[in-house]
Amino acid sequence: MELVVALGLIVFKVALLIAILLLLPLPLTWLERKIAGHIQQRMGPMRVGWHGLLQPVADGVKLLTKEDHIPAEADRFLFKLAPILALAPPFVVFAAVPFGESVSVLGTKITLYISNMNVALLFVFAVIGIEVYGVIFGGWAANSKYAVLGSLRTCAQMISYEIPMGFAVIGVVMLAQSMSLLDIVRAQANVWNIVYQPVGFFVFFVAGLAESQRIPFDLAEAEGDLGAGFHTEYSGIRFAFFMVSEYAVMLLTSVLAVILFFGGWNGVLVPLPPLLWFLLKVAFFVYVFIWFRFTFPRYRYDQLMAIGWKVLLPLSMANIIITGVAFL
Amino acid sequence: MSRVLDRTGTWIGWAFFADLTNALALTFGYMFSRSVTMQYPDKEKWLPYSRYRGHHFLKRDDEGEIKCVACELCARICPCDCIEVIPYEDEKGNRHPAKFEIDMARCLFCGLCEDACPADAVALGQQYEFSSFSSRDLVIGRDDLLGKPGKATTGGGVVAARLNTEQDVLVETSEPQGYNWWRNIRRT
Ligand code: SF4
Ligand code: SF4
Repeated sequence: MELVVALGLIVFKVALLIAILLLLPLPLTWLERKIAGHIQQRMGPMRVGWHGLLQPVADGVKLLTKEDHIPAEADRFLFKLAPILALAPPFVVFAAVPFGESVSVLGTKITLYISNMNVALLFVFAVIGIEVYGVIFGGWAANSKYAVLGSLRTCAQMISYEIPMGFAVIGVVMLAQSMSLLDIVRAQANVWNIVYQPVGFFVFFVAGLAESQRIPFDLAEAEGDLGAGFHTEYSGIRFAFFMVSEYAVMLLTSVLAVILFFGGWNGVLVPLPPLLWFLLKVAFFVYVFIWFRFTFPRYRYDQLMAIGWKVLLPLSMANIIITGVAFL
Repeated sequence: MSRVLDRTGTWIGWAFFADLTNALALTFGYMFSRSVTMQYPDKEKWLPYSRYRGHHFLKRDDEGEIKCVACELCARICPCDCIEVIPYEDEKGNRHPAKFEIDMARCLFCGLCEDACPADAVALGQQYEFSSFSSRDLVIGRDDLLGKPGKATTGGGVVAARLNTEQDVLVETSEPQGYNWWRNIRRT
């Protein structure tokens, strides 16, 4: 009986998480377009539903009913594999991400995470790295100039941001003496990591922008110069996969920023429920992502390389050394 | 980079991304400023200024007689050659147009016909909604031109409107003068 309940709980949590992640792009696209509109003194979507609230649904229906076109010269296997490769990792990663300690419902304690891995951080970085293959394969398989250029850029971009990103979180791991995300949050019960690790956060955040392929580092898509970048040739449901993946990664980066540097579900001053604190912080970071997108222009390709190798990497190294020295 | 240094004065500004934070503050401010969207055609509509050059109209004099004396000067000056005038003489011996047609599909709304007219008979009015499915429907005859709305008296406003698609596509307005659209423009 115990086992059945535990198993059922896990299945329920996984299903809930998948449903939330699949549905989240709907409000997020609406939000993004609304914020974009108001930053540019427009109104954004207004026609479908109240203030365009149903616009994402209409867009979804449109995407689902569109012709799913595969270019004649495309590598059909990779072309079909790429969207799935892009979509699956962000979902898998969330298995290791905690959203809070635990709540008790009907006398049973329910933990707000699917698994508490002791190497959660490593797992997250390892799995999210796979997502990039979706982008690279997608661009390559389409057999289109723009798409190939987009995925070539992704290859180079990935190397220059993943390394600083990995280094940036080492400081956090040193402070918490653990790679479990749960322990990392617990270690921040009194003081958030951002106080000790401002440089680490800076490097992490900039690299996270690059990771989620958002402006100012959306070189793989670069609407201005590459058509639509790696997903130029994608249409219909496969394109929707890439979109969902992009939003999931954006959410993941926000969640990680909150867990690693902003105390997770630990609140300050105002005693709110921990889960609410957590969601508020994540929402803030999601807003920052959107806000950035409509403020900054895209960095040039070589500028991104320069930032990655000449600024972020030394900074993250220095951060590790200083943290280590302070520890001694 | 040097301009940023000049503006913020010190290298501190550069080190803490003064330029980027300035940009963020600006867009954040814009986010809470009024939007300039005019929700045409089902909620709002723009009233043109009196100088606006829209659909032509023909004027009548005080006796209700058509002002045009069919001199064909407008037809002559029109750069698009889109006016066709055929004169006739009435019982009193006055010249008037038997046929006065403007091909709105070819007209470029330069207003030269209005300037050339010696009798102040033709002018470009305030109507701007006359799209049609066939360019043949855009050839407007004398009697239709006499009935077209004249110059706007007020203008520059945005009024509440309603889209009516029962028979024709019509954008109906009720109030004569709306709010000044320019008040929403942010100039910083
Ligand atoms: S506005 Fe210009 S183009 Fe149009 S009918 Fe008059 S003269 Fe011709
Ligand atoms: S509208 Fe004016 S210019 Fe044209 S034919 Fe009549 S009187 Fe002459």
